Amino acid sequence: MQPEATEPEEDSVWEEPPSMLWGLDPMFNAFNRLYVKDILHMRESCQVSGIYFYNSHPIFKVDVLGTVVYKREREDFFCYGVDDGTGVINSLCWKDEQWREQGDPATLWARSFGSSTCEDFNPASELKKLRQAQHSSSHLEIGELLRVRGPVKTSRQQREIMASTYYKVSDPVMAVQISWMMEVPQLYRQCYDKPFHLDSSAQNIQGGSASYLLGRATRILKDFLKEKEVTRFRPYDVQDLLQPLVSRQSQKTASEQEPEAGPSSGPPTSFKQLRELLQKSLQILQDEGLVFRKVKCQDEVYHVTERDKDLLMAVRDILREDCRREKYAEKGCHILHILSSVRQRYSRNVSKAALVLVLKALECNSDIISTSDSHYTIL
Amino acid sequence: MLPAPAVFHFLWEVNLSTGAVKEGDSVRTFGSSFSRLVSYQPEESKATLSIQHAARQHQVVVQTTFVEPFDPIIGAQYIVLGEIEKAEGGDGVMVHARVLNCVDGVNLALLQRGVNEQRNYFRERGESKGDAATAATAAQPRAPL
Repeated sequence: MQPEATEPEEDSVWEEPPSMLWGLDPMFNAFNRLYVKDILHMRESCQVSGIYFYNSHPIFKVDVLGTVVYKREREDFFCYGVDDGTGVINSLCWKDEQWREQGDPATLWARSFGSSTCEDFNPASELKKLRQAQHSSSHLEIGELLRVRGPVKTSRQQREIMASTYYKVSDPVMAVQISWMMEVPQLYRQCYDKPFHLDSSAQNIQGGSASYLLGRATRILKDFLKEKEVTRFRPYDVQDLLQPLVSRQSQKTASEQEPEAGPSSGPPTSFKQLRELLQKSLQILQDEGLVFRKVKCQDEVYHVTERDKDLLMAVRDILREDCRREKYAEKGCHILHILSSVRQRYSRNVSKAALVLVLKALECNSDIISTSDSHYTIL
Repeated sequence: MLPAPAVFHFLWEVNLSTGAVKEGDSVRTFGSSFSRLVSYQPEESKATLSIQHAARQHQVVVQTTFVEPFDPIIGAQYIVLGEIEKAEGGDGVMVHARVLNCVDGVNLALLQRGVNEQRNYFRERGESKGDAATAATAAQPRAPL
């Protein structure tokens, strides 16, 4: 999955590491002190939106120190434009509810202690000081220094930081900014610019890579069935779609496997892997109800549930007939009743998951309607 | 909606003729060294920052309309963040300040090191954006004003 030579800027060559393995990169869990320029230009992941890649590292959260050059205030939040010298980015800073003035229970409670005899500690004035400190820490003007930490979001095609923490930095002699300027290039050299290498043990974790591969395989099959509006197919028809996944996989593992007695990597092994992958993917599609085998025999024919007109008509007919009977007239038929009827009349191999999809499709077409969570009736 | 990023420049680089900055660029720069905030004319909203560097006195005029009321401390060090414009009268440049902060007491040598550290890193990375030094060498020389 991870190419040997990582050139993250060449889209055609570089592939994202599987999302399951992102946690292995310490940068994924850290607040990364990237330059705003890099935050704005990093590419978004195709697997999970909201995660971005800088130099093959999955990035979730960032840490920025910069001058406020833009401010917008609303009742609930601030939007500060932060400039660190390399770029400007918006940061959405939510106001803290509990420090609002007037009428909140904490103030009233504190005021009741106002006339306390104890001179050292006056809760009301302490609370007031705390509120003022909170206020001055979060209300900034243009020109002041802001520290923001939080995940990066793309909203309305603009990148912004959703601040989980933000505060005004008091920096009268620029000491904080100078140390930041000295530190960040070091961080880049030592961590950020070093590519994320999955060592061979990670790649050989069968669980991780296998489930990723399976996920991709089912995705490919689903997209194919949808695009080509397939009604029925045999495994042979879709086998070739998964070929690229398997050949890549066998290339990788072949180069890292220790030599062992047994079949060497080559066409026979990859064909076996392909068959295995195909079987597993088809099983998943069956379990989800997307396909079913109407007749279980030597000839493996899969029907795509939502496109099987006969099945849809059969279910509709069942409901039409049964809902005439007094027993079901008012409440409709329970899904399990429908399931047993379908299995008797149409095919023994229709699963509950498949039936759920059929019922949904019929309901979208306004042929039937659900009267409760698991009851349906004809319209 | 958001302004352009203000790249760090030293005062002596803020000069159209060297090509380090172009008109319209957003920069941040600091008046430093021996003469600092030299003068302030509130009626015209103009301040002058000055610096001694390489045996020459460099000056930059700062338009302070956006940052008023501005309480000047003559002789103190300031950092200004704003847009470069041609000065009235055609000679030299003017910075239209959006931010003008007093940073008196700043360790200037350390600040220069910080800026150079950042520039070196970008140069290593091989980019011209955000790096005034390579931009200066790459830019076409302009006719002196």
